[in-house]
Amino acid sequence: MIIGLQVTAIIFALVMIYFAYLHYSRGELGALEILSWVIIWMVTIVIVVFPELLSVFAKTFAISRVFDLMVIGGFIVVISMVYVSYVRTKKLEKKIEEYVRTEALNTVEKNKKK
Amino acid sequence: MKITIVVPAHNEEKRISIVLKDLVKVGLPIIVVDDGSSDNTYEVVKSFPVNLLSHRINLGKGAALKTGCVAAFSQGADAVVIMDSDGQHKVEDLAKFVYKLNENNYDMIFGSRNLSYGVPFVRFIGNKFASVLVSFLFGIYVSDLICGFRAFTKKGYEKIKWQSSGYGVETEMVINVGKLKLKYCEVPVETVYYDNFKGVTILDAFGILFSVLKWRLYK
Repeated sequence: MIIGLQVTAIIFALVMIYFAYLHYSRGELGALEILSWVIIWMVTIVIVVFPELLSVFAKTFAISRVFDLMVIGGFIVVISMVYVSYVRTKKLEKKIEEYVRTEALNTVEKNKKK
Repeated sequence: MKITIVVPAHNEEKRISIVLKDLVKVGLPIIVVDDGSSDNTYEVVKSFPVNLLSHRINLGKGAALKTGCVAAFSQGADAVVIMDSDGQHKVEDLAKFVYKLNENNYDMIFGSRNLSYGVPFVRFIGNKFASVLVSFLFGIYVSDLICGFRAFTKKGYEKIKWQSSGYGVETEMVINVGKLKLKYCEVPVETVYYDNFKGVTILDAFGILFSVLKWRLYK
C-alpha cells in the first residue's frame, strides 16, 4: 500500500518537474524559478522514498506517524500558497480595474478638449 | 440642478436601443458605459446622441457605474440617475427621481419595485431576506435592496463611494447610506423582467451575502 502511494507520489513529482520545465522552455518561468521548483520536487521525491528522514520532526511535534506529518505539512503549504495566490489575484484585479477605468475616462478628457 | 443619467451596459445589443430611444427624448445628458461587451452593444449605442465610454474588458456593474459617475461629475453634473440597460426600468419613472432631486432634501433616492407583482418568487424571498438582514446589521431598511434604478447628488456620491465592482454595488450603497446617516427616500418604480438568466444569479447572491457580513466587520 505504502509502496503504491510512494510510486504515485514519485510519478506526480516527476510530472510536475516536466511541467515546470515546459513553462521554463516557453519563457513563462525564470531560471531561478525553475531551479526552485526542481529543488522542491526533488526534495519531495527524497522524502517520499526515505520517509524516515522526517521521523525526527514527527517526534518533535508529537506526531506518531511520518505520513501524518507529511499530510499536515502538505495542508499548511497548500493553504499558504492559496492565500498568497488570492492576495496576488486581488492586487492584479485592482490594477486591471484601475487601468481599464482610467483608459475609459481618458476618452471623456479627449472629447472635452475637442 | 444639472442631472445626468448613467447607464451601465454589458451585452445588451438587443434591448439597449429600446431604452435609449426613450431616454434621449427626456433631454438630459446620458452617459453609457459599455462594460466590455462581446456583442454589438458598443456599435448600437454609438448611433445615439449619448456620451459613450468603453471598458476594454468586463469589470462588472459596480466598476461601470463608478466610471460613469466619475465622468458625469467631472462634466459638471450635480446629481446622477442610474438605471439598467436591459429595459426592465421604465423611462416614465425617471420624472420621480428628478422631482425628488430638485427638492434638494435627499442625498440618495432609491427606486423600489413592487416586489409582490411580477418579480420571480425566489428573487422576492431573497430580496426581502437581504433587506431585513441589512436592516438588522446596519440599521437601514430599504424595501428593494438591489434595484438598479437610483439617484444621488454629487455630495451623496462623494460619501457613498463604493468598492464593489460587481453586483454587490447596490447593497454597498445602501449600507454606506445607513452607516453615514445620509438623507434618503424611496420612490416606487415599475419593473419588467425579460430574462431570468441575466442579472443577479444565486451565486452572486451568496457573494453579496458574504460581502454584507464582511462589511459588518470591516466598514
